[in-house]
Amino acid sequence: MKLVKQTKIGFQYRLIPEEAYSLRFIVQQFPVTEFSAAKISKTDLASVEREKLLNEALAAHREELKLRARNLIRSDRFRPSGKDQLYHLSPEGRESMLQILNDVRVECWRMLGEPDNPDLNVFDLPPEKVKHCHLMHLAGYFEHHFLDLEKP
Amino acid sequence: MPMPPVTEPMTVPGPGVRQDTRSDDRLAPTYYVICWNDPINLMTYVTHVFMKIFGWERQKAEKHMMEVHEKGKSVLAREGAEKAEFYVHRLQSYKLQATMEPAQ
Repeated sequence: MKLVKQTKIGFQYRLIPEEAYSLRFIVQQFPVTEFSAAKISKTDLASVEREKLLNEALAAHREELKLRARNLIRSDRFRPSGKDQLYHLSPEGRESMLQILNDVRVECWRMLGEPDNPDLNVFDLPPEKVKHCHLMHLAGYFEHHFLDLEKP
Repeated sequence: MPMPPVTEPMTVPGPGVRQDTRSDDRLAPTYYVICWNDPINLMTYVTHVFMKIFGWERQKAEKHMMEVHEKGKSVLAREGAEKAEFYVHRLQSYKLQATMEPAQ
């Protein structure tokens, strides 16, 4: 994965065919899990109403991301260039992409039992967890590249 | 002919009209916005999110990210309830473990 062009209106990346396929696949998997409630405070026990609002907002945000996810893997965003694919993202699209990839990564990690060291070996896992391990690593690969390839 | 002296009309605040709310601000509860460490969020991602949400320069965002990583948590802001809630919503929408805790 390489950054070909970065302007104010967006980013263009060059992906090899396997990367283009994998990126589409990961985004299609979002959301990996059902929405689960979050805590707003560890110590403030009087924050029930605030927590309710937080969870409503997070659930709505996830629904919005689901719609954006479909848009991010629309076929017209990918353009063949030799054997590779050129992939275009607006700055807002890139931000949504980062949130989606990170959501997939974090939720897969939860499905794997929240290990302290996420660098798991798939051969040590029961078969039903292998998919989550692969997805977690793949999402991390793209997340790392989308962040690392940005020019300041 | 000399004009009669003109006095500025004086506005007297009616009962219940506050002229100064500073003392109220001091009494309003404030909250620490805290980001907690976890083993899954990438360090570059955490830095990116801090820059995005708080508008910080990379150096400041990295300082807080390292504090989360090394000390287990970092206090990102001290705000009134509404603003603290706003920050926690935004941080959690990025999947960071953030909470608001009453400031003593």
